[in-house]
Amino acid sequence: MLAPETNELLTRTGPGTPMGELFRQYWIPALLAEELAENESPPVRVKLLSERLIAFRDADGRYGLIDEFCAHRGVSLWFGRNEGAGLRCAYHGWKYDVTGQCVEVPSEPEDSRFCSKVKLTSYPLVKVGDILWTYMGDPAKRPDLPEFEFTQVPPEQTYTSKRWQESNWLQALEGGIDSSHVSWLHSAGLKNDPLFKGAKGNDYNMADLKPFFEVVDVDGGLFIGVRRNAEEGHYYWRITPWVLPSFTMVPPRGDHPMHGHLWIPIDDENCWVFTFDYQPVRALTADELQAMKDGHGVHNENIPGTYRPVQNKDNDYLMDREAQKRGETFSGVKGIAIQDSSLQESMGPIVNRNKERLVSADSGIIKARAKLRAAAEALRDEGITPPGVDAAHHRVRSVSIVLPKEASFIESCRDAAAVSPGVRQTSV
Amino acid sequence: MVMRPTLLNSCARAATAAEARFRVDVPIGGQRATRVVALDDGASAVVRQVAQQKWGGARFYTYEPRPRSVAVDAELADIVLRSTDGSEARLSEELDGADAMVMIATADDGAEAASAIGNACTLRSIMTAGLILGEGRAAGAAVSALRPHARVLMRSKDEHDVTDVLKALRA
Repeated sequence: MLAPETNELLTRTGPGTPMGELFRQYWIPALLAEELAENESPPVRVKLLSERLIAFRDADGRYGLIDEFCAHRGVSLWFGRNEGAGLRCAYHGWKYDVTGQCVEVPSEPEDSRFCSKVKLTSYPLVKVGDILWTYMGDPAKRPDLPEFEFTQVPPEQTYTSKRWQESNWLQALEGGIDSSHVSWLHSAGLKNDPLFKGAKGNDYNMADLKPFFEVVDVDGGLFIGVRRNAEEGHYYWRITPWVLPSFTMVPPRGDHPMHGHLWIPIDDENCWVFTFDYQPVRALTADELQAMKDGHGVHNENIPGTYRPVQNKDNDYLMDREAQKRGETFSGVKGIAIQDSSLQESMGPIVNRNKERLVSADSGIIKARAKLRAAAEALRDEGITPPGVDAAHHRVRSVSIVLPKEASFIESCRDAAAVSPGVRQTSV
Repeated sequence: MVMRPTLLNSCARAATAAEARFRVDVPIGGQRATRVVALDDGASAVVRQVAQQKWGGARFYTYEPRPRSVAVDAELADIVLRSTDGSEARLSEELDGADAMVMIATADDGAEAASAIGNACTLRSIMTAGLILGEGRAAGAAVSALRPHARVLMRSKDEHDVTDVLKALRA
């Protein structure tokens, strides 16, 4: 249960809200680099943290993320022409560079300096890995660029997709923290999905449906360990890191790629889910890459030309009761990603957490909410920089491992749960 | 794939903000009967403070390491707890009707009690959770002591987590 005022605090991310200000302390994914693949690509509408923006890439390859609407008459610059060193409004030809600075007002006299007085809000847009990241906070407090491992490995070792989820960001994030649903909702995926099947860890998963949970508070967020019985005297541990505000990783399976998500508010009722897969020490195989592009693993299939899933709430997620009956899926919905989003969207745009009935197995979610609230309040009341801003907090990995029963997962996995360039992931 | 004749756009309609207004708004009935036991002195101070807040069906106890143990079962030792009002209470009696047991620890002083509580809860199918407060070796030892007996463990540096967890559980 969460008091209504706390639910409001955690779910609202527009300008001036405590959680909105929290998000504005971090570099966050704005769009995929593929969306601005070339210089002078068509501009892209981007809504982030309830702000409508336009992203473009000028003739010199510089990225810009500026207010979507022209300062003149409020026309959307999505209709603009990407010309040379700026984006020109289609209505009266006003032109803006990547910093939002107006550089031409054609109706003014030749030598007029009027345009120098017109500047749209703009945010930096920087390519790190397959993602264009932005920082929407105070320029004086801009942190170092993100260093999540999936953004640091060579391009042939990593793949990122994105999808639109029609729910508040927090209920999406909470799905990434909640390990206990995997043995139910995603159970069939462990047997069938090309990016999961065949791992020894899957057997432990399916043999023990009542796992034990441990939640450990760390500087950048949490580690959530879930243990199941393994061979005599041993436990199988699956360890999920969460880094504030919204980075989660899924514990790996066998030699399959590692994967995870960033859950980014579009507005209070929609979010982007950026989903990545990577191999720390080898290139993704052609089969792995194709499987990801086909929507397997934690990815999904989008409607061509969009980032809206093919399976969405307008078509009941292509619910297939026959496949459910045959055991091919647990819920009748195909694919891990949409199995999650279908249920999270069914909660409503912003779930009423005052009515929920949590159990102690939800401790990871309880603690994550507490950390988010504490971080937002400490920022608002005392100006304290929140956890996860420091790039050192980004250098984490998920882990799956078999340990002796008496071993502490957090002590035993200190190295395995940290990024070590050139070192393979710890996975069963 | 055989498509069932679902209502056109049914999920699309059901999941909108407008439809959220029609969700049943009756308060969820029934309180969870939660027992909270502090296993050592550090935890006792926290639990006494938390107990002063307004709770539903939660009851709070401290464990004193030298209790008057009374064997009530060949395998289980009943332990004596001290309620926050100072009265003594037997674990076996306090577990009657309980849904969840939350053990609070800052060290492993209460390992014996954790074992007794864990066994008693297992026997009665009562959910167990452990909250370990603090850092360092003492907290690590507490984790080891509680791990076999708590289905859920949270290790935290923040005492407020006791209140947060209990509130989230509707204790």
